[in-house]
Amino acid sequence: MTQIFTVTELNSRISDRLEGDLRLHDLWARGEVSNYIHHRSGHRYFTLKDREAQISCVLFRSNGGALDFEMNDGKNVLVYGDVTVYRPQGRVQLVARGIKQDEGLGFRHLQLEALKEKLAAEGLFAPERKRPLPRYPERIGIVTSPQGAALRDVLRTLGNYPARIILSPAQVQGEEAEKSIAAALLALRGRSDLIIVCRGGGSTEDLWCFNSEMVARAIFASDAPVISAVGHETDVTVADHVADARAATPTAAAKMAVPDLEEVQEALKYTKVRMMRALWTTLERAEDRLGHLQHVLSARRMYSLARDSRQRLDYLSQRLEGAEAGRLKSHKSRLELLAGRLGAVGPQETLQRGYAIARSGKGLIIKAEDVRPGEDIELILYQGRLRCRVLECRNDEEAML
Amino acid sequence: MKQEETSLEGALDSLEQIVEVLEDGKMSLEESLELYERGMKLVSLCQSRLQNAEKRIECLTGELPSDLS
Repeated sequence: MTQIFTVTELNSRISDRLEGDLRLHDLWARGEVSNYIHHRSGHRYFTLKDREAQISCVLFRSNGGALDFEMNDGKNVLVYGDVTVYRPQGRVQLVARGIKQDEGLGFRHLQLEALKEKLAAEGLFAPERKRPLPRYPERIGIVTSPQGAALRDVLRTLGNYPARIILSPAQVQGEEAEKSIAAALLALRGRSDLIIVCRGGGSTEDLWCFNSEMVARAIFASDAPVISAVGHETDVTVADHVADARAATPTAAAKMAVPDLEEVQEALKYTKVRMMRALWTTLERAEDRLGHLQHVLSARRMYSLARDSRQRLDYLSQRLEGAEAGRLKSHKSRLELLAGRLGAVGPQETLQRGYAIARSGKGLIIKAEDVRPGEDIELILYQGRLRCRVLECRNDEEAML
Repeated sequence: MKQEETSLEGALDSLEQIVEVLEDGKMSLEESLELYERGMKLVSLCQSRLQNAEKRIECLTGELPSDLS
């Protein structure tokens, strides 16, 4: 006979069946923690999983004291508790009463570590391989989901920066995500100066595609530098390790990608000032040089003037010497001439004929009255002189011969 | 104007070089004036590039979501 249940009835029946099964009580389950949330209410929610399957778990606040270690994603644990059904959602869950840390790493975690080691050995994480980001990218490629908040954060932060923005859509979650991201990266080849690969926050599960080898290799092979911004600050994926730069969030990635517009404007203004200043300095230097040249030039002129003057002086003095000599010569000949003429009018010839020159202390004696009796006088003869004393002065005609 | 100066980065790089040469002061006055003029042209080129920035978003696989286009 067919029975029709309401959903409530159905979930009650499942619940009764499961919770009545003693094998699903007081059990231990082993697995890896993911999507761990320590809710405000004090309850802890997480997913326990292994390679094949997962189950929701909750540790109510009243049992929280049972934890003696730090719970976080990726941790391998042993959970002690009971299977129940959360009726409003028809969800089977494991209600934990105690949790112990399982020694040894989770399988997926081991896989991830192996991948990291392999890629590191190949040099994909090497710091010297990382390319510098262009300072002023003209074309910015973005690999992300067109619907995501991450894209909006990036676009808002890029603001008015003058660049072409090329969206290469990708699924960033789920089975196909790694292929989709790798393809989106490849599609940007030759089309961008810089690529931002981003995704908003999510569970470790959600972000797992960024731990894929395919994505890592696609980032590595990109012809433009890649900024990776996956999840929040604390989420570091393989993509982050391979990327040329890692940003904590999509917003941070956009800030990293472009310079601050105001800063660039300021820098331009300052450049203008620097150029003007430099030109001014050059002008001043040219002016100084001009002044100096002027100075040198005038000194040179003075010098050449002085040289000219000296030459002229030499010339003049030469001429002067010549003139002086000539004049002296003419003096000499004139002197000889005069001496000749003097000789002609001199007394010597007269004295030779027996005349004498009489003179007193007052000069020549021309008349008898020029002297007095008893006065000494001198007679100059043709040869020699006589000293004589006057006896008498007669002023008559007979005295004349 | 040279090819690489048409991009913002190229223009800013050239500008940086010009300022350095100018500040070095080894050019003649005439050369300096020429450089200065070229530098000023580059400054206004950069400024107009920065001011006439219209966001150009395109999508490699078709339509952009309506809130972005």
